[in-house]
Amino acid sequence: MAVSRLPPAALSLKQFLQRQKVLGVYRDLLRSIRRIPTESDRRYLRDWAREEFKRNKTETDQDVIRMMLTQAHNHLEDLRRSLVLAGC
Amino acid sequence: MASRALAYCMRSFARSTARLNHGNAFTRYACAPLVSKQRALGVTPCSQRTRWTELVRISGPSVHLCRHYGDLPPLTLGNIEERVMYVLKLYDKISPEKLQTSSHFMKDLGLDSLDQVEIIMAMEDEFGFEIPDAEAEKLMTPAEIVQYIADKKDVYE
Repeated sequence: MAVSRLPPAALSLKQFLQRQKVLGVYRDLLRSIRRIPTESDRRYLRDWAREEFKRNKTETDQDVIRMMLTQAHNHLEDLRRSLVLAGC
Repeated sequence: MASRALAYCMRSFARSTARLNHGNAFTRYACAPLVSKQRALGVTPCSQRTRWTELVRISGPSVHLCRHYGDLPPLTLGNIEERVMYVLKLYDKISPEKLQTSSHFMKDLGLDSLDQVEIIMAMEDEFGFEIPDAEAEKLMTPAEIVQYIADKKDVYE
């Protein structure tokens, strides 16, 4: 007879942790984009990142989200390595 | 660096005046305005210092701190709030008419967590210091942001 007191839209722990990871990678991406020298490149990449994340915002399948998270991490690593090579 | 050089000059000047008779308080009063701008030079005992501050007060508004030596203008709560609201008004997803200091980003302004991340990044750019993730995700209204920045920058009023 245990009635759950949680609201229906509450996330499970795994979903909550995944959400935090997504926000974390978005933040890291924005921080790396900040280090890019040209303003127009920065704006382009910021819009690109925003577009990508917003487009997949409504995804609910955990495996798909995990795959997209890995892709985002790969993009982030590419960006960081390019920045190191470019010397900024 | 200029302040260090000034402090060194002050110290050598104070040392030379201390060697003179203590009764010659006039030279001490002359360097009172400069000393009040420096921090903790501690040349004379307390009783002398209170007499200095009285004299400084008499000479009135000419003694307030006007040199920042390359530092930014001091932050006040009103100043922080102005800048936070200005940055928020520039954000394209917020309509400036609906914006108030107590408006919740998600409930009142209809933004989502990605927008909130962008807003906090914009605040980091504006104020020049990093806000860690754990604390950033809790800031949901402009008032909370102002309060957080005031806490971090030690602004009291």
